[in-house]
Amino acid sequence: MADTMNTYDAIVVGAGHNGLTAAAYMARAGLRVLVLESRAIVGGAAVTEALGGVRVPSLAHTVGRLRPSVVRELDLASHGLSLVAPEVRVFAPQADGRAVTLYADLAESVDALRTFGEDDATAFVEYDRRVRSLSRFLADLGDEAPPDIKGPGFGDALLGLRLGRAFRGLGKRDARTILRVLAMAVADFVAESFTSEPIRATTAWRGVRYTATGPWSAGSTAVLLADVAGNDGGAAGETVYAKGGPGAVSDALASAACAAGAEIRVDAKVIAVTTRDGVVTGVALASGEEIAAPAVVSGLDPKQLLTKLVDPVTVGPSMRWRAGNIRTPGTVAKVNLVLDGVPDFPAAGGDAKKIRGRIQVGTTSIDDVERAFDSSKYGLLPASPVLEATIPSLVDPSLVAGAPDGTQVMSVLMQWMPPKLSAEEWASRRDEVGDLAIRTLETVAPGIGGRVKARQVLTPADLEGEYGLTGGHPLHAEPGLDSFFLWRPLLGWARYRMPVEGLYLAGSGAHPGGGVTATPGRNAAREVIADRRKKRR
Amino acid sequence: MPQRYDAVIIGGGHNGLISAAYLARAGLKTLVLERRYVLGGAAVTEEIVPGFRFSVASYVVSLLRPEIIRDLDLPKYGLDILPLDGTFTPLRPGEGPKGGGGDYLWRVNDHGRTVRELRRWSKGDAEAYEEYGQLMVEMARFIKPILGIVPPDLTDNDPRPLLPVAALAKRFAQLPERQQAVFVQLMTMSAKDFLDQWFETDPLKATMSASGIIGTYQGINSPGTAYVLLHHYMGEIDGAFRAWGIPKGGTGGVSYSIARAAQALGAEIRTEAPVARIIVRNGRATGVALESGEEIEASVVLASTDAKVTFLDLLEPNTLPAEFLEEVRRFKFRGSSGKVNLAVDRLPDFTCLPGEGEHLRGAISFSPSTREMEQAYDDAKYGHWSNKPYIDMIIPTLVDPGMAPPGKHVISCFVQYAPYRLAPELGTWDDNGNREAFGDAVINRIAEFAPNIKDIIIGRQVLTPLDIERTMGLTEGNIFQGELSLEQLFFNRPVPGYARFRTPVQNLWLSGSSTHPGGGLMGANGRLAALEVLKSRGRKVA
Repeated sequence: MADTMNTYDAIVVGAGHNGLTAAAYMARAGLRVLVLESRAIVGGAAVTEALGGVRVPSLAHTVGRLRPSVVRELDLASHGLSLVAPEVRVFAPQADGRAVTLYADLAESVDALRTFGEDDATAFVEYDRRVRSLSRFLADLGDEAPPDIKGPGFGDALLGLRLGRAFRGLGKRDARTILRVLAMAVADFVAESFTSEPIRATTAWRGVRYTATGPWSAGSTAVLLADVAGNDGGAAGETVYAKGGPGAVSDALASAACAAGAEIRVDAKVIAVTTRDGVVTGVALASGEEIAAPAVVSGLDPKQLLTKLVDPVTVGPSMRWRAGNIRTPGTVAKVNLVLDGVPDFPAAGGDAKKIRGRIQVGTTSIDDVERAFDSSKYGLLPASPVLEATIPSLVDPSLVAGAPDGTQVMSVLMQWMPPKLSAEEWASRRDEVGDLAIRTLETVAPGIGGRVKARQVLTPADLEGEYGLTGGHPLHAEPGLDSFFLWRPLLGWARYRMPVEGLYLAGSGAHPGGGVTATPGRNAAREVIADRRKKRR
Repeated sequence: MPQRYDAVIIGGGHNGLISAAYLARAGLKTLVLERRYVLGGAAVTEEIVPGFRFSVASYVVSLLRPEIIRDLDLPKYGLDILPLDGTFTPLRPGEGPKGGGGDYLWRVNDHGRTVRELRRWSKGDAEAYEEYGQLMVEMARFIKPILGIVPPDLTDNDPRPLLPVAALAKRFAQLPERQQAVFVQLMTMSAKDFLDQWFETDPLKATMSASGIIGTYQGINSPGTAYVLLHHYMGEIDGAFRAWGIPKGGTGGVSYSIARAAQALGAEIRTEAPVARIIVRNGRATGVALESGEEIEASVVLASTDAKVTFLDLLEPNTLPAEFLEEVRRFKFRGSSGKVNLAVDRLPDFTCLPGEGEHLRGAISFSPSTREMEQAYDDAKYGHWSNKPYIDMIIPTLVDPGMAPPGKHVISCFVQYAPYRLAPELGTWDDNGNREAFGDAVINRIAEFAPNIKDIIIGRQVLTPLDIERTMGLTEGNIFQGELSLEQLFFNRPVPGYARFRTPVQNLWLSGSSTHPGGGLMGANGRLAALEVLKSRGRKVA
């Protein structure tokens, strides 16, 4: 009955890429869907925005982890999505003028690694095989909603069997390895394959990117393997750009959702999820408007959702305590630059192709990376941060269309920022953060500072304030061992259903976690649709 | 004709002796071989300064399994554990709510008193402490059976070893959801993050989290350190027999009580009998050869030595499959703790609470802030001993005066961190006066809180991880015979697929702390290994 009175079957809060994905899948299944976004544009952390006459990837800069199955099922190509992958994946200049360069092509990577020793170059082949094999299991895990541990049903038994088979599919040796390495520090994991510090540090980086841990922290190997899961990146990692920037992914998803009948409203900030007798009734907007729907699907992070948007009495004290303790230490700053020309990296030896992938600065040794992390624990900026930079305009000139010839866009992700500074303090230190990024870039690209025509600095406070990420955490919740699979975001609530009937989580805070993957959004939509079918029966 | 035994045990540490006792009790002709002149391994009492007797390495008993105490009737053979009351965390002038000459945080066994003390710091923390304590007891009760489980090999096709784990999973499913969630957190979080959920008082969090890093090369912010917080509560639920305290006569007293029990059950024990190698014929262990050249035959060889000593030093390299050797080489030791033992002619005098008193009769924890705890780890990460180390100090003579001449005292200082491998510019522990410089750092740290320490020392012994390796035979000075990091626990300890005390060599078994459930003066390893041996021989295990 209530169903027919509502204009919508489901409201999606937040038009990040996962929210849009969930909306598209639900709309395709025939649900009447409304997406509400507080900002003026859709995309959340996957957006392309204007800066100094060009367009920059504000937060996320590569999109290679986007699930191919989602691209296919939603036919994103027909909605304008076009992906470009340069041959080079990683370029990590070192203090001595050499560089760790990794390519899409394994043999090419091995060749390039020879300068760091024949043994390590050869070991890269087995390392690549190993991470691919181990991450395939994680990819299988990521495709599923975690099993129901409260009242396991037939489906959960089947899932158990399927995962069991995937586990056995690893073979005895890799099966034992994955049990051993998931909880391991990534520093130890890469040391099992390599002796060269530059190679260790460069390959370990993805185990600590976006996190509040250093390479010596347990569990960072799981983060690395999760990053490999579900894309072809292998040991080199993905470097895939969307033409038009990451916002193009969101736009394609939005287009697919609308084509399937979903409605999207921007500048519509949701301030509360409304409930009656512990059941979701809809949402309330900042404007005072209330919109009814039997299901609310949150693209926002779970901590914000459960502690700010839902009535505390409905959530209950125990759940509120748990949700309030979801860890969201934001350690990432983003610095976007408009340059008047291609910066010169002497370690690239004039080969402009080498700087088309992810440029890693500071991944010179495990200890150097760990030191960049250390200071954040004491509330300080690092003396030598680690940067992951891209120059997307080299492969996608559309970003600088209309700008003077030679203009380039550089996107710089910088770690580790101290997670607990106040918004006021961050505001007063914005320039310091920007200068630190430039100073660090100067060590590998002398003269780059002189090329900067415009710069945008986003601190963790901006990630929280402007993009709505609690604590400024780009992954919605720290991807530690304490927030994994069955207990991401919370044990007992990993199946996309939140502890209020009709409330769902579709964002990065859900399994299998953050990054531009669209997987939590797709998995969540599946559960919403399944619940609706059950109710109808 | 070499001598022949049913079982020969390498190493007279507490685990070796416990294995011996259980095997002898089942009627096996058992021999223990100890390299040193004294029994106990790391649980040993020695007279380092004339007239002063020290628990040289291991210094308290907290988790000695009650079933072992009962099965072997250890009190009858001299086991006597004297209670240690409380943990005293001194602070420096100006720190803490009291201000002035300095404050302290003092938790005692009397729960009410502790809560009153905490109220001084934070009313919220005092309340949370009650709730936290109850929750931890529940958790400890749940996890305790794992100490008695022989870990399964998940890649194996035989489901039987999985049964005890399945039983545990079933009990897990019956816990309330919040307890389930907290349990998962305990297994995965850092001690600091875990405690942040309850408490705000920094010295409280620093002191509580300290138990999470003991013996590990991890900091209080490192994921995987929360689990050890449970240990304290496990002792608490063991009930009737007080399991937390100082053994009379030092930790060597525990070892000798086990040795006497084993002997009474018929086991033979030889000291100063170092084993040179394990004899293997046709893939089976058939006995051991001593450094003296003597050979001893046995149907079963139980090594209580650590995984590296056993597999890499005592066996010929070609005895083991290459893949297994690779895994053994991968097993991490990375000793991170040192010990400074002091003979003093007076008691230390703390600025924050001058004079003698009850506060000196428990553990004294030098852990004034979480920041200093973490910085101590940061020093060690890059190969330096901690400039301002964490110290767990005990003054055993206050409860066991017989350890020193009348009126004088011994002080035991467990120190973290002291990495086995120093930074290249420092050389080794033997170089550049590093050992004594480390000792000085410890004394200076104590003097921050008890300035008279420098005037009362008559003798001092500084043990670095290198010394622990040399003296006790513990690889890289790791007090747990291998790091207790998450990937080295349960079915991965010491080598995935070989967590069931068996080794690739038939009739060779492992029974030391390198096996599940890890280190500490617990004895579960030695007991479980002996029971597995007996099961494999078709003996009824009582």
